[in-house]
Amino acid sequence: GGAAMKCVIGGAQLRVFGRAIHAIARISDEFWFDPVEKGLALRSVNSSRSAYACVFFSSMFFQQYCWTAVSQPCQEKQLALPCKLIIKVHFNEMLHPILCVNVLERNVEKCSISTSPKDHHVTFQLLCRHGVVKTYNLAFQECDPLQAVFAKHMCPNILKVHSRLLADVMIHFPTSQEEITLSVTPMKVCFRSYTEEDTDFSRTMLTEIQLSPEEFDYFQVGVDSEVTFCLKELRGLLAFSEATSVPVSIHFDRCGKYVPIAFSIEDLLLEASFILATLCEAEKEGHPRLAVGPQSCCLAEHPHIYWGPSAHGVSMGSAFTAAKPHPCWEHCQGTGGFTGKDLQVAKASQIINAQILSQNSYLYKYCVFQFHSLFFGAVSYKKEAIGDTFQSLVTASDTEEDFSTLQSSQVL
Amino acid sequence: APLIFLQNELQRERYALSASLDNARHLGLRVTVEDAKCIQANAFIQAEIFQEFSVQEESVMFRVSLSVLLDCLTIFGTSSLPGTSTALRMCYRGYGHPLMLFLEEGGVVTVCKIHTQEPDELLDFDFCSTKVVNKIILQSEGLREAFAELDMTSEVLQITMSPDKPYFRLSTFGNAGSAHVDYPRDSDLMEAFHCNQTQTNRYKISLLKPSTKALALSCKVSIRTDAQGFLSLQYMIRNEDGQICFVEYYCCPDENITEAEL
Repeated sequence: GGAAMKCVIGGAQLRVFGRAIHAIARISDEFWFDPVEKGLALRSVNSSRSAYACVFFSSMFFQQYCWTAVSQPCQEKQLALPCKLIIKVHFNEMLHPILCVNVLERNVEKCSISTSPKDHHVTFQLLCRHGVVKTYNLAFQECDPLQAVFAKHMCPNILKVHSRLLADVMIHFPTSQEEITLSVTPMKVCFRSYTEEDTDFSRTMLTEIQLSPEEFDYFQVGVDSEVTFCLKELRGLLAFSEATSVPVSIHFDRCGKYVPIAFSIEDLLLEASFILATLCEAEKEGHPRLAVGPQSCCLAEHPHIYWGPSAHGVSMGSAFTAAKPHPCWEHCQGTGGFTGKDLQVAKASQIINAQILSQNSYLYKYCVFQFHSLFFGAVSYKKEAIGDTFQSLVTASDTEEDFSTLQSSQVL
Repeated sequence: APLIFLQNELQRERYALSASLDNARHLGLRVTVEDAKCIQANAFIQAEIFQEFSVQEESVMFRVSLSVLLDCLTIFGTSSLPGTSTALRMCYRGYGHPLMLFLEEGGVVTVCKIHTQEPDELLDFDFCSTKVVNKIILQSEGLREAFAELDMTSEVLQITMSPDKPYFRLSTFGNAGSAHVDYPRDSDLMEAFHCNQTQTNRYKISLLKPSTKALALSCKVSIRTDAQGFLSLQYMIRNEDGQICFVEYYCCPDENITEAEL
């Protein structure tokens, strides 16, 4: 089974679409392409699992959007459920020119994308200047879904600012600057270059930009905070946001391990979230060290998640309580600890571990990477940390698919 | 010197330089290179482009190393400063003698002597206008992007020419999937469209990709195929003085695919 989708992007939306792809491409060279009834979701995660992006285009964004479930004739008792068509698309030599922002903006009048599960092809067709038509038929393979859930409303610090202002701030940082530190108090907001302890200050240029609360469309600082994140991944989002003229919302908490920062934009036609891991210097004064971690988990200095035979994955957060029903954000499902053997499975199916969440209730506030994999659900799970929180998650689930998966995995 | 920018396009492993005098129309210099016995590229520099051009014999032909020739022609550097120009004088005494190049720039004179060799037998594609089945002339601007974006993981470049849709199509079949670029017959890029028969031919992409350089310099390109599927690409190049030179490629097909097989 699968889904067949056809959509057409034209006019000004081409520019927005191109910039969205470009922003996602900054995270990773492959993205999950997930057409659903309500629209099209594109998701990406980087190899070190420290950055995640999701852009959801509602069907209204497109000049045309048609989605039909194509279900296989199945066993007697089963209902014909709409199946997902989730594929991974690589930015390769062929795709890059198609979706290159410049090309889309200058030469393309219309772009249509269609999928057909039985053909195993995604077709991008570009109507260009001079009547030229470019058609790209990309072979795909279905894969496990990728989704992250983030309880933005649980964050004590929320800033909302027009992308123009953020871009004006970021432009002062040299393109080689990888990480920047954002520190906030109720009185001011400061962006500055991040430096390692062993930096030779006599040879380094440090940039610091301070903004006052009045410059923000929305300013809420519940706790003083200082978080460091990777700038490179953000630049794409800023260009994208400029094309949409939608302000950027920043959600974060006090500095701590496994605390992510989320940059998001939202309007009637689309929603995008870029969730980045943050670096926390736990030794800094005034920042209480987050009590974390089960002993079994590898407590890396850096909250990046490494995947590999020798690594013990660490998530960026934990399950959260109330999920906002949305095609882009699904409810969290519990996943437990894992053994080395399971890591092999995880690596093979390209899923992200949410192991840490089982262990620390504080972390329940934050985001979790989840995956609908029966394999993973079956892994052993430390029951004591679950508590009521998870219980409510299960019942709050609003999709039959999730529910059945959860049941069969016997997580709880 | 107009010679320099033309020579730069022809970079192959085997090299041949031939100066020929076929008839009054073709008086000039012709540089030919070939590869794999499948492709031949020719650059024509008409006599009119030279301030002085004299050939004593009916036909003069010799072979030299192209990379050496290019190195000599660009001995003063490849970038030209405004106000400076390099003057070239090329002389060949005849069979057994080296090719002499005298280059002068800003009062500095360089003399190059390049050993000549026996000319190879050149492929004769026997491509003449009476045998042409399909012909189109396109503005180069329209093709440049398509050639630059060619999926090089594809082994072949497939060219379809037809009186019906898709009219003119370039296709590749690479690791990620297939790509097609279609040019309709009524496109404003299309200067001439004379397709009588639907033909689909495949050519080794590695042989045709280097023609991108000629495409980049040209203003127009003519694409012709004959009954056997042999391809002729002719690029019209206009130099800074408005003079016109031609570079043409002949390529034999990799496979012949009949319409039925498509």
